[in-house]
Formats: sequence, structure tokens, C-alpha cells
Amino acid sequence: MFGLSNPQRFMAFTGPLTPVLWGLAALLLGVGAWLSFSVPADYQQGDTVRIMFVHVPAAVWGLGAYAALGVSSFFALVFRHALADAAARAAALPGAAFTALALFTGSLWGQPMWGTWWVWDARLTSVLVLFLFYLGYMALRASIDDEQKAGRAAAVLGLVGLINLPIVKFSVDWWNTLHQPASFLTPGSSGLDPVYLAPFLTMLAAYGALFAALWLTAIRTEIRRRRVMTLRARQAQEA
Amino acid sequence: MLDLDMTPYAAFVWPAWGVSALVLAALTARAVVASRKWKRELARLEADPTPEAADTNRPQVARSAIGPKERPQAAQGAVGPKE
Repeated sequence: MFGLSNPQRFMAFTGPLTPVLWGLAALLLGVGAWLSFSVPADYQQGDTVRIMFVHVPAAVWGLGAYAALGVSSFFALVFRHALADAAARAAALPGAAFTALALFTGSLWGQPMWGTWWVWDARLTSVLVLFLFYLGYMALRASIDDEQKAGRAAAVLGLVGLINLPIVKFSVDWWNTLHQPASFLTPGSSGLDPVYLAPFLTMLAAYGALFAALWLTAIRTEIRRRRVMTLRARQAQEA
Repeated sequence: MLDLDMTPYAAFVWPAWGVSALVLAALTARAVVASRKWKRELARLEADPTPEAADTNRPQVARSAIGPKERPQAAQGAVGPKE
């Protein structure tokens, strides 16, 4: 695992893996979409239950991407590892996009079910804070010219934002919220109707494969970009 | 069998799926375009490692990394100090 922290070995290992992940993501998204519109409407929620198949995976991988960003930031800050810094940077945009999708689709689900687009309850607010952490991370990186200083400052912010992840996860247990409590992985809960399990798990896996493909591609691009910058600097020095 | 009749919730279901599809497609397109761009640029620089290959109009990072261009010592000596 730590062998992959060498950029050359990382490029060699992820070279054949990345197209496989893109293909897997495309396949799972296609199958997941088909399954999502094949299952019957819910007896209470009607067809709005189909929003769950894009809302929950986006929310789960929005959180997952931030965990990847935070852990990478830790390694970048403590070990000054360039690849970890690239990994943190690469997770920011897909994570922000997934979180924005979770907020948007959740709002579209909330209006017909709760009668409101938005409510300042603990779950929705903590996910909004997560989105703001993503924006802050990207803005901070972009605002400092020196890439090393930008990476270190953003890594500190990335680490601070990790505090928000358990708040998002447990907000529905710690406070009274309009948002429903966790039902899928909670022992003893009624859980999801078995008829919705196949599309739900397929879409969850599809978003996961897509995030992995986006992340690896972005890390590989960042490695190449830094190599180009180094070569340009060397050539400009020689000129 | 596909059920595409979302009545009466079509105004909520289709935008949720449509915007999700658009955003995921945009993320994919951006990742692929950026990947190809830097792959091509790296291949170009590695194929032609001469200083002329460096595009001095673009690499602001490169210029900031090495600082302002200094005059060669020999040239300064040739001009000599002003009295």
C-alpha cells in the first residue's frame, strides 16, 4: 500500500485500473438507472422514492470524498508527501459536486414529502456546512500562488473539516430532525423494502466506482501537471 | 418493465435525475479533457527537452519558481561600475 506513495509506482498501478473503473461506473450507472425505473412506486411516497436512488449515493460519496480529502490532508501535512497533497486536491471537486447534488436532490424530495424545500435541521445544516468546507478548501488553494503554502493551508482546513463528518452521520440521532434517521445499516430498524435494495445498492456502487474513477484520473492528471511544471521551470532556467 | 410515468411527481423526479446526470457528465468530461491536456503537454515536453520547448508565455508558475531573470555576471563586469 505504502509502495503506491511513489508517483511512478502509483502511475503504473493505476494506469490499467482507471479505465476498468470508468467502464464499471458506466455499466453500473446504466443498470442502476434501469432498475430504478423498473421497481414499483412506494405505497406512501409514490414515485418520489426514485429520488432516493440518486440522493443517498450522492450524499454517501460526498461524505466519503471528504474522508478521502481529510486523510490525504493528514498525510500531506504530517509527512509532507506530494502524492497525498495531490490526492487531497483531486478529491475536492467530485466531493463538492456530490454534496451539492445531495442537497439539490434532497430539496426536490423534501418539497413533496415534507412540504418544504429546506429546513434548518441538524442533518441538512451539517451537510450544507460540509459543502461550505469543500468550497473553502478549493478557494483557499486557489487564493495562494505558492502551491506548497496553498497545499499546507488547505490541508489544515481539510483536517478541521473532518470534525463535521461524525456530526453529519449522527445528526439524526443526536438531535430531533425532520430528516429520517439512518434506516439501511441500523440493526433492528425496519430498513429498506427489499424491492428497492437492488437499485439502491447498484446506484451506491455506481457512484462509488465513478468517484474512484474521477479521483484516480484527477490524481494522475495532477501528477502529470506537476511534472510539466517542473520541466517548464527547468527549461526556463536553462534558457 | 420500465415505468416512466412519474405523475404527479414528475416535476420533482425528473429534475433530480436530470441534474444528477448533467453534473456527473460534466465531472467526467472535465476529468477526461484535463487528463488529455496534461498528458499531451507532458509528452510534448519529454519529446523535445530543449529550452525552446518551454512556452514562456504560459508557465507563470515556472517563472515564479525561479524568480526574476538575472543578468549574467560576465555581462555586468563588461559594462563596469558607473562612477
